[in-house]
Amino acid sequence: MSESTTTEAMGGADWESLARGAASDFRGEGEESVFLLRELLVFGLDRSAYAVPVERVREIVRMRELTMIPRAPAWLLGVVALRGEVVEVVDLRRRLGLGASIPDRSNRIIVLHGDADRVTGLLVDSVSEVYRIADEAVLPAQGLDTPSVSEVCPRGDEFVSILDVDRALGGADV
Amino acid sequence: MAARRSSKQGAKGSPAEGKATTGAPEGAAGGPAASNENHEFVAEAEEILERMLEDLAELHDQRHESASGEVDPDLVNQIFRSAHSLKGLAGMFGLDAISELSHRLEDILDGLRLGKVAFDSPAVDLLDDGVSLLTTMMTRLERGDANGDDEVEMARGFVAQIDAAIAGAVPEPSDDLESLDLDASLLRALTEYEEHRLKENLRRGRHLALVDSTFEIAAFEEGLSELSAAVREVGEVVSTLPSPGDAPESQIRFSLLVATSVDAARLASRLDFPDTEVHLVKEGDASAEAPPAESPAPPSDASQPASTEAPAPAGPSASEPSPPADGGGDAPEIESLRSISDTVRVDIRKLDELMNLVGELVIQRNAIGTVAQRLTEDVATARIGAELAKTHKALDRKLKELQTGVLDVRMVPLRQIFEKLSRVVRRLRRDLGKEVDLEFVGADTELDKLIVEQLVDPLVHIVRNAFDHALETPEERTAAGKDPHGRITVAASQRGNHVVIEVQDDGRGMDPAAILEKAIARGLVAESDQLSEKEILNLVFEAGLSTASQISATSGRGVGMDVVRNNLAEMGGMVDLASTPGRGTTVTITLPITLAIIQALIVAIREERFAIPLNSVLETMVVEPDQIGRSEGREVLNLRGEPLLLRRLGEEFEIPCAGPEERQFVVVLGMGEQRLGLLVDRLEGQQDTVIKPIKGPLQQIRGIAGATELADRGAILVIDVSAIVGDVIRRREAA
Repeated sequence: MSESTTTEAMGGADWESLARGAASDFRGEGEESVFLLRELLVFGLDRSAYAVPVERVREIVRMRELTMIPRAPAWLLGVVALRGEVVEVVDLRRRLGLGASIPDRSNRIIVLHGDADRVTGLLVDSVSEVYRIADEAVLPAQGLDTPSVSEVCPRGDEFVSILDVDRALGGADV
Repeated sequence: MAARRSSKQGAKGSPAEGKATTGAPEGAAGGPAASNENHEFVAEAEEILERMLEDLAELHDQRHESASGEVDPDLVNQIFRSAHSLKGLAGMFGLDAISELSHRLEDILDGLRLGKVAFDSPAVDLLDDGVSLLTTMMTRLERGDANGDDEVEMARGFVAQIDAAIAGAVPEPSDDLESLDLDASLLRALTEYEEHRLKENLRRGRHLALVDSTFEIAAFEEGLSELSAAVREVGEVVSTLPSPGDAPESQIRFSLLVATSVDAARLASRLDFPDTEVHLVKEGDASAEAPPAESPAPPSDASQPASTEAPAPAGPSASEPSPPADGGGDAPEIESLRSISDTVRVDIRKLDELMNLVGELVIQRNAIGTVAQRLTEDVATARIGAELAKTHKALDRKLKELQTGVLDVRMVPLRQIFEKLSRVVRRLRRDLGKEVDLEFVGADTELDKLIVEQLVDPLVHIVRNAFDHALETPEERTAAGKDPHGRITVAASQRGNHVVIEVQDDGRGMDPAAILEKAIARGLVAESDQLSEKEILNLVFEAGLSTASQISATSGRGVGMDVVRNNLAEMGGMVDLASTPGRGTTVTITLPITLAIIQALIVAIREERFAIPLNSVLETMVVEPDQIGRSEGREVLNLRGEPLLLRRLGEEFEIPCAGPEERQFVVVLGMGEQRLGLLVDRLEGQQDTVIKPIKGPLQQIRGIAGATELADRGAILVIDVSAIVGDVIRRREAA
């Protein structure tokens, strides 16, 4: 499946233990603090950078034919069929109060693990990279009026907004 | 069913999960390791409990049906063995409370089989309650909780109750067995149970015979079980004993002590096996004829010189047959071991996965069909297209077989539910003091395991209703000139791809006038509505309408029939009701045989496609704009003289759709008694589809039952017919 990139393809799933291992290598004698790396999948939306924790990502797929859902809230764009599975797709723009998406072929759907064995797709503009950052560099998101963003972290000159996945996928209308 | 573990690729540190095998005892550690172990226990114990329930039901039936209250001793043994296995199993898992409780149930059963506890003793009712309590404890374990103090306390109280109930057990009067023309050594070899069975049979005046038979050692098991089976057709094998060793090296001799009510001549003719002789030991009470034919001891097999070896219960060469001293019922044990060995227990989720795979194959097959079709249409590729079409057909056939095969594995007989129902009725009989006979027809009718699971509650509810509300008290019945015994019949039968279950009672029937009055009072219908009697009766399925004037603990407060209807509708089932005042009520449930693969009608509005389960489609037809009439602002169609309410699916789903001037297709939907014509732009044929559950927010959207995948068209939503029809009808009634 060339069009999908699974977390395995990104180099194994057990990020946390990898990070811990790396951290213990760096740790000096008698040092108290534990140095942790975070793995974030960074994606673009409305010319800004956002991210979700890599361990929540199941796969990334190209935009495909969406089936609209009558009576559904507007932020629920529709469903797509994925190898025999039916996955609901959330319009992240609407979820973040950025207006409605007009999806085209260039869009990507990030398929995320939700609660229990739920999977939900997140419609984004583009996917850029897996970004590693020290835990200490992540800051709580203050003063942002969207509840779906919980933290931010620096990346070069800009800041990346880290999504609270459960809020972003949650049932309540925004 | 427990939630499936999400398949995140071992994201968390694995060392924590590796220590599941450090055998933690019950209770204290309720961690994941413990609950996992208990899951194994529950899976196995559940089967034993189910068997116990079935057998207990049979025991009650036999007790009620036979004039002398006699129960098949093998049945009692079987339940005894179940309790015994359960005790052992619980002990292995360190579940002390369950083990203790099973142990006491075993005591009761042991008392029953040894004649120390009478069948009409209150202890027998305790068996039912005990099994219920075990089921509760098991359910708790399955959820992953350890049994709490309250259950353990209950079990303990229960144990005390049992002890009290069997304390008065009396030892059997010691009948004089010595006077029987039986070898003293044989009598000594009898176990306590066998001795009891012997006395019991003598007391019932049956003939007693000794059947001697010689088998080749190499094949004696088979020969012996054939012989025992033949005996069981006409009587009971009280004991199977290896006989004194006067047989040649390669042979083994057995004596079967047999109790029967057929006479010696008939018994002998029934047991016409090679090297087998029948001797009458004691004539039954029926008539006193000739004395026993011959000495029962070593039969005179002329060809073999009589040996003088002392008669020992276990011959030197007979290592396989277990000595009879260890508690009876050896021969049936052989059989039951065999029947277990060719059965495989499978987790239903594995079957679900298999079914999903088959479903995907079905989708792929459809895709191949489409390709073949396209190839055939082009002249250049027509030949290869035709070949592919042929292969597609062959694949189609095999796939259908595979589908049937997998579905078949999921099928279970309704018997299981019936056992549960009879338990409910037994309890109601006890609590309410009504005399009610419950009859089952078609217990072998099979349904998808998942449907059977979901069917239990609605069915219990309906039967309870019949018992509590529909059936009159014995006094009322006598006054009405009826048999004081009420009767409830639950009959199941298969009709094509559906199973129909009818619950029929001979009670007071329903009063349409009273229902209508109540429905009007509750605002469910308007006084001006013209409702047929059938429509009125079906109002009981509306929320908030109960015909019982009194609230009882048995049937609750009339939340119920609407829930019953909704539960059934979720499975694609329908429920219908007919009643004759004074004569009784029949509730008819119609269910699809399986939920896994359904036939769906694909319809389209503009570019949006939807699937409608074919089992709720009555018919489809084309309607020209001028055929659509109007009544009170609603569109209706004259369907063979009957007005059919119409609804445009596009309007229902707020999709821009064809105006009233365009030709439309109408899909006539039926849910129980209700009919609705759904107008759509196009029909796009039928297709086998696998409904995928919707797990996210979509779950809450009314009118959508799920989604499915079509070969070349991506995801497509499946319409929830009962919700759509129900909503439209309700809106009409509210207007």
